[in-house]
Amino acid sequence: MNAPLPKRLWHWFARTRVGRSVFRVGLPQSNLERSQAMVSSFLLHLQPAKVNRHALKPGYTLGLGLISLYLFVILAGTGLLLMFYYTPSTDRAYDAMKDLQFVVSAGLVVRNMHRWAAHLMVLFVLLHLCRVFFTGAYKRPREFNWLVGTGLFLLTLGLSFTGYLLPWDQLAFWAITVGTNIAGYAPVIGPRLKFLLLGGNVVGQEALIRFYALHVIVLPGIAGLFIAIHLWRVRKDGGLSRPDEPADVVEQIAPGQLPTNKSYGLMELARGMTPQVGLNPEDEVFSWPHLVFREVLLFLAVIAVVLFLAIFWNAPLEQLANPIHPPNPAKAPWYFLGLQELVSYSAFWGGVVVPGVLVVALVLLPYLDRGSQGVGRWFARERVVANTIFALCLAVAVGLTVIGSLFRGPNWGWQEPWKQPPAMTEGP
Amino acid sequence: MTNDSLRKFYGGFTALGLLVGVLVIVAYYQDRHRPWAAYQRAFVSEEIRRAATPVQRALAENTPVQIRQVLLPELNRVDRCTTCHLAVEDPTYGGYPQPLAYHPLHDQHPFDKFGCTICHRGQGRATTVAEAHGNVPYWNSPMLPLKYIQASCGQCHQAADNPAAPELARGEQVFEASGCRGCHKLEGFGGIVGPELDRVGARRSPEWLKRHFLTPAAVTPGSGMPPQKFSGPELEAITLFMLSLTGDTVPGFYASMKVIPSATVGRRLFQQKGCIGCHALGGQGGTTGPALDDVGLRRSPEWMMQHFRDPQTVSPGTVMPRFGFTETEARALTEFLLHLRDQKVALSLPSLMSPVERGREVFRAYGCAGCHGPDGKGGVPNPNAKTAEQVPALTYVADGYRPDELARLILNGQHEITPLDPKRPPPPLYMPAWRSTIKAAEIDDLTAYLLSLKPKGEDLGF
Repeated sequence: MNAPLPKRLWHWFARTRVGRSVFRVGLPQSNLERSQAMVSSFLLHLQPAKVNRHALKPGYTLGLGLISLYLFVILAGTGLLLMFYYTPSTDRAYDAMKDLQFVVSAGLVVRNMHRWAAHLMVLFVLLHLCRVFFTGAYKRPREFNWLVGTGLFLLTLGLSFTGYLLPWDQLAFWAITVGTNIAGYAPVIGPRLKFLLLGGNVVGQEALIRFYALHVIVLPGIAGLFIAIHLWRVRKDGGLSRPDEPADVVEQIAPGQLPTNKSYGLMELARGMTPQVGLNPEDEVFSWPHLVFREVLLFLAVIAVVLFLAIFWNAPLEQLANPIHPPNPAKAPWYFLGLQELVSYSAFWGGVVVPGVLVVALVLLPYLDRGSQGVGRWFARERVVANTIFALCLAVAVGLTVIGSLFRGPNWGWQEPWKQPPAMTEGP
Repeated sequence: MTNDSLRKFYGGFTALGLLVGVLVIVAYYQDRHRPWAAYQRAFVSEEIRRAATPVQRALAENTPVQIRQVLLPELNRVDRCTTCHLAVEDPTYGGYPQPLAYHPLHDQHPFDKFGCTICHRGQGRATTVAEAHGNVPYWNSPMLPLKYIQASCGQCHQAADNPAAPELARGEQVFEASGCRGCHKLEGFGGIVGPELDRVGARRSPEWLKRHFLTPAAVTPGSGMPPQKFSGPELEAITLFMLSLTGDTVPGFYASMKVIPSATVGRRLFQQKGCIGCHALGGQGGTTGPALDDVGLRRSPEWMMQHFRDPQTVSPGTVMPRFGFTETEARALTEFLLHLRDQKVALSLPSLMSPVERGREVFRAYGCAGCHGPDGKGGVPNPNAKTAEQVPALTYVADGYRPDELARLILNGQHEITPLDPKRPPPPLYMPAWRSTIKAAEIDDLTAYLLSLKPKGEDLGF
């Protein structure tokens, strides 16, 4: 046998007494062992033993959901390391950034990874949302998972936004000031919401400690729970959406059909596609290795990209926050710049009505758009109206964000990015 | 199904695994190879070269390569400058090129208590040359050029009190003599026409300040400040004084060291504590105690110190009370009395001065000269003012105003200056109201002084 050395080592270890106790089965050799590998491993058993070939097509999912998950994992890991050095105090937070940069071993690269992974996660969660829309994957029976996904999108924004304040530099301070001011435009609850977020009327120590607690405990906890539900529902809803899936996927036995005075196993309760077994066995492949290998490969790729960015580009860090010296213009984080651009036209319409309508539309979408046509294909002809409306909204949002990010100069006036005013030479 | 379709995966695992591995190594290399380590190794080899005995050599060879830092919790600073400047405290490194040069004259400001950046500025936490010296974007406090280093003394010490910072004292003199206070507030005292100067030294660079003095409108468009006619040394001195105005306050221990026991401080104490009530100087003052003009010849500094602590211990039966001076105050008074030995000093006591003399001091202290010229002789431009496009001279106010009219004009100010040409922008300089700033007694002295400006014997017969 000419297997490479790592593989032979793995084989040997998996067959030792210790190896067997950990993995139960070694490297699977038969279909039985492939199934056993999936169901007997804690991490792998989140996934079915067999998956539909369609779910593995890179051109269908583009791996966007998985990339978002990996970024979340990277963020949790690097975030934990950063917590060892960070103090959520207005006196010490900025100094901690400087110490990370100058004296902490690998401090700079970890902070850079955290920063770039955070930006990428916002981007990839949004792209994932677009993918799901353009393939009609939110339709029955996946309506609820779309809701969970919408929640995860908002949580991602919240996580990024709360993390934005923590370096306590000018960028952080004024971005959060602008961002929470936008929140304050909401009618009735706006000012209270802003006060609740900041623990006061302006960004200060209370705001920092609140944002810190939200950023490291509350929001990641909720996001972790939502991710678990999201993944679980993918399985329970019959795997990833695909064009030829049966119309009726999950159906609980109606009450009255079974005696109610005994307990039942899962198989007795669900009818149809749960747990998912394809109608056509040729369309199905074993998750080990076909799914797991792809996942590992993608994970390596994500790590490589984030590391690459972190090595060659430093996360921004401006001057220490100075509440009496606002930059001109003061800008929110980039993903809120479309909103800020809208607010510059009208605080009420741009800051309240438009984002409110958008969020409500996202939530209600799977219950409003009830046709079952065109699921599982990109830009299906049957869904041309919905896709066009979505694409237009997306284009407007991207356009506004680009304008807000690149074309807005002092006093929110028009400013071509290639004609930047001379950099400010004065301090605060 | 298996082996062929999986082969591409093994290729992918190998390629991506290697890529991640390489990136991790690059990140590790970046992290390990910090520029400061090279400076430390250079220092260690120099130490080894200089080692005279095997013991010294062994010590030098075992010098650890590591971050050195001065922790200054009270100042909220961490200065890592000594990570590269390793020999600042070793006099045998005098004359070495940077970064290994010795730092002279630090007895009063020991490194472990003061660090470096409190005087030199820059970024103490940084450990690369550019970042540490602070000439990088987003760092507001670059290193102070050495020729302005005395500005840092003024962050804590009174400019005039510090014999070690003559340039700073000179800058303060230029500031007061040029009447800057007429328009600018400093430490809550001065006019309101221009911006306050309390933090100007932290906000502006030396280059900016110099350009601003010579052509204010060039760096601050629309500024009405008249261009200043400073000589070269005056310009440097006042720039240095401006740089000293950082508005920083120092805490606890450092605040206790602010007062330098110099002759200047002693002189001020001598006036404040009313010593003149019993002791005469230059023929003025009380006669209860001895005159003090030549006390420096008669008594030793140690005697004086003890005398200030408790007069009875060195002059039993003396009527001089125990004033409870602090050690610093006693030392300052001693310095002042010793200073009298070399130099005749006449105290300018307000109560002994004429109203006109006191008025001249008021005119100086409030910076009136900034707009009205030295001794009110005028000549300061005020574009488009009807009065020959200048701030009016005050030489002949005696001809146009009664004292009470003049006092009212000063107290209420004159915000509207009649323009020469109504179409052009209004004149930038105006007379602020001094009502809330100037004291009632001072206004009488000031009007007396202003009315006295008219040359003697010149009466045009109005």
